[in-house]
Amino acid sequence: MASIQFKSLTKTFGQFAVVKDISLDVRDGEFLVLLGPSGCGKSTLLRMLAGLESVSGGEIHIDSRRVDHLPPTDRDIAFVFQSYALYPHMTVRRNITFPLIMRRHRWWFHLPIIGGIAKRRIERSPEVAELVERTARTLALTDRLNQYPRTLSGGQRQRVALGRAMVRQPQVFLMDEPLSNLDAKLRSSMRAEISKLHQRVGGTFVYVTHDQVEAMTMGSRIALLKDGIVQQLGTPREIYESPANTYVARFIGTPPMNLLQAQLRDGSVQIGDFSQALPAHLRAALPAGFQGPVILGVRPNRLSVAADPSCALAGTVSLVEHVGAESSIAVSLTAARTAHEEEGSAANEVMMVLPGYSPLRAGQQVGLGLDFSDAVLFSAQTGHNLIPAAAGTTH
Amino acid sequence: MSSNSLELETPPAADVSTRARKAARLEGHPLLPYLLVLPATLYLVVFQIVPLLQELGLSFTATSLLASNQSEWIGLANYRDLIGDPDFRKAIVITLIYTVVCVVAAISLGLGSALLLDAPFRGRGFARAAVTIPWAAPPVAVALTAIWIFNAQYGVFGHVLRFFGLEAGSLNWLDSMDYALPAVLMITIWQIFPFASVVILAALQGVPHEQREAATIDGADRLNVFKAVVWPTIQPSVMLLALFSTIWSLRRFDLIWLLTQGGPVGATNTLVIDVYRRAFVNQQLGQGAAVGMVGVAIALVVTVVYFKYTARAAKAGER
Amino acid sequence: MITSSARHTLRLVAVLALLGAAAFPIYWMFVTSLTTSSQLFANRPQLLPSFSELHVYKDIFAAKPVGRWLLNSAIVAVGTTAASIALAVFPAYALSRFRFRGKGAIGFGLFTTQMLPEAMLVVPLYALFAKAALLNSLGGLVLANTAFTVPVVVWILKGAIDAVPLEIEEAARVDGCTRMGIVMGVVLPLIAPTLAAASVIAFFHGWNEYVFAQTFITEDRLHTASVGLAGFVGELSTPIHSVMAVGFLYTLPAVVFYLMVQKHVVAGMTAGGVKG
Repeated sequence: MASIQFKSLTKTFGQFAVVKDISLDVRDGEFLVLLGPSGCGKSTLLRMLAGLESVSGGEIHIDSRRVDHLPPTDRDIAFVFQSYALYPHMTVRRNITFPLIMRRHRWWFHLPIIGGIAKRRIERSPEVAELVERTARTLALTDRLNQYPRTLSGGQRQRVALGRAMVRQPQVFLMDEPLSNLDAKLRSSMRAEISKLHQRVGGTFVYVTHDQVEAMTMGSRIALLKDGIVQQLGTPREIYESPANTYVARFIGTPPMNLLQAQLRDGSVQIGDFSQALPAHLRAALPAGFQGPVILGVRPNRLSVAADPSCALAGTVSLVEHVGAESSIAVSLTAARTAHEEEGSAANEVMMVLPGYSPLRAGQQVGLGLDFSDAVLFSAQTGHNLIPAAAGTTH
Repeated sequence: MSSNSLELETPPAADVSTRARKAARLEGHPLLPYLLVLPATLYLVVFQIVPLLQELGLSFTATSLLASNQSEWIGLANYRDLIGDPDFRKAIVITLIYTVVCVVAAISLGLGSALLLDAPFRGRGFARAAVTIPWAAPPVAVALTAIWIFNAQYGVFGHVLRFFGLEAGSLNWLDSMDYALPAVLMITIWQIFPFASVVILAALQGVPHEQREAATIDGADRLNVFKAVVWPTIQPSVMLLALFSTIWSLRRFDLIWLLTQGGPVGATNTLVIDVYRRAFVNQQLGQGAAVGMVGVAIALVVTVVYFKYTARAAKAGER
Repeated sequence: MITSSARHTLRLVAVLALLGAAAFPIYWMFVTSLTTSSQLFANRPQLLPSFSELHVYKDIFAAKPVGRWLLNSAIVAVGTTAASIALAVFPAYALSRFRFRGKGAIGFGLFTTQMLPEAMLVVPLYALFAKAALLNSLGGLVLANTAFTVPVVVWILKGAIDAVPLEIEEAARVDGCTRMGIVMGVVLPLIAPTLAAASVIAFFHGWNEYVFAQTFITEDRLHTASVGLAGFVGELSTPIHSVMAVGFLYTLPAVVFYLMVQKHVVAGMTAGGVKG
């Protein structure tokens, strides 16, 4: 168990800055998820924490000890790779025992026969053997201990990688997209296993992923990165309910929040030629007398088909997807514009999610009703959330 | 939409039998593969298999180089003579020493060289290319240069040894019974280690670096990372390299012949040299053939042992 | 503890030592060729070439038919390369793409022929060539050399063809290509780097070859450089620096050529199968 501090951390490869001046505190025992698209710097950040990448600028502290100059071995961390990186020519048992032997390694273990005997003695010693057995039992690997990694399934290999990490009882567990190589069904069961592991072991976990569902379900806090900068740091709920900027809003949620270009005037929001009054709590939270262009964020499940099409947001249905319990409907807006970054045919579309099997068809004209109860307002210039949320957000 | 879709994993390559079955479906005359293979096979039969069989036949005769069409069948007499021939027994020993030392030294040096050239440094590309120079040099030229370098009075090798006060520097190593084999070994190893270096370097590129990192994080020092991750990955390549190096060492003729002709007094008389010597110097074609057959048999045994070993290792699940 | 910069320096020193050892004999060949006779037999060896002695290179062409030797070597090398590739392409393709009875035997046979020493087969081959009137001909040398390079070339090319996805051939088939057309027009271009690598290997075999060249050819004008150079062993009339000059002339094209293509040779060979 340990807290981690990143202080003004920077990483450049040549001219290119991958991590830009990141300062972040990871609390003791929490499950922090580093979330973001490829190339945002999350893996680099993790690898710097592990000691697999050098630090270009700034400091890293683990448990109040400065570690950025230490090699990985001395940082008391464990790392789970996306590809598991198991030792293919060692049995599962040996894979898990390996870190324990390495920790007790002496220089003369390299000698041919004597070293082999010494290593085997460690392997068979009660503490080591017991620890390995216990770890295997925790991960349901007991009957696989004498097999080789290549005979195991993806999920089993993942568990061996976890075992190899756990057995060292480190302060910090680092995981680099460990579930990306698994198929969807396996992923959800492994997600639960890792969360349970965190509860049982109680260490500090730093977990990298690009999958926002993983982040939202597993993390105690999420740091969303883009282009080497933390866009928002907060609990899943904070990030969902108060996205710090339009990028966060569009990254989280399936489908993500709709962003509409709008004008704020006298307590009402005008979207295209449709106007609706802002609810009281939003009006109160805004700075006094605020007028002008804004970006309005409305979730897909807060859109509906208006009973009266004349006072609704006009649009044409472009695609209907039935997902069983609900229907996802893409609507191309007639007289309003979105603030999305997509191009082409999806440029001016909002997503609406309706319960059940929707009778709507593509090409149909609809009027959309908007529920502003948990809407968010963003600045049209900067994209930042106009209503600052509780502490924890950056930028 | 922001479904965060994952990149598709690349599908695994089709295994050989599937591929072959699919290829067969590509239509074509059922005899096509035989037609394709025929010219080369015929060629090799004419220029290798038939001569080999002729040598086999020769080994059962007593034939003189000068009167090669008059062969006298003597059955296994040549072989029986060889067993009792101390020169032949010595040739076997020399061949053994030569082969083992060459292979072990070349691979060790090649491994060291490859590890050295694996890490990034400025001029690495140039170094990797330059280290292959010995292998590119023609053996005849190498032999002639070596003869000069080992010249007793004026060769630079002698100069260096004398500089360090070693008396052996006054000898012509290639003419000395004690030092001829070491000299030939040194020259051979100089010429062949680059090949080992290149092969091992290529194999090193295939070592998964995440495994290396995992081992480092697990607390392994550099030597342990090598033993746990690098060596198991490159081992098959190194074994194959060892096999080829062994077979080539058993065959090597040009260098040794030009350097010492197998002398002095058989100090560097490997089996191949012995074949040539008996055939062309002693003019006994039958004897030469018999020695040649023994050499081929040894190479065959080595190959069979190698394949048995790798098959067993694969089955045991080690690799 | 050794710091990483100290380790880096150590590595550079080791690499320099390695390169020095690798290059030294060739360098020495060059230096010796450009050293005066008196200097050669002095008490201390001369470490640097005297470029004032460059005339040695000109002189040697007058003393011995060096130009002819090199030309003959080139002819044999090129011939061996062409013949090897021509003979090896089709069996390599067949071994890669087809499953047929005897395939294993042929594969094994190819492998075992690599074990046969030239020095042993020279006797029956001599008899064969004598009967076929192929002695004293460069073409005969090409024939003999090719027999020893074909197995290696087949193996390398097979490995490369294995790596070409079958889908590409099927697509060409759908487009109406004949099988022959597929092999020549589709597969060969795709394995071009390996073809180059195999060509280099065959070329070097032909250029370096000694035993057959020595045994089969007695006519002076047909001697290859390997034989011509070997003729200096034990011969006392030609001064060392001239011998070294010939050696260097014989070595230089090989080394330069190899340095130019070595990247592709490595890629080609490891794509082939030395990976095990």
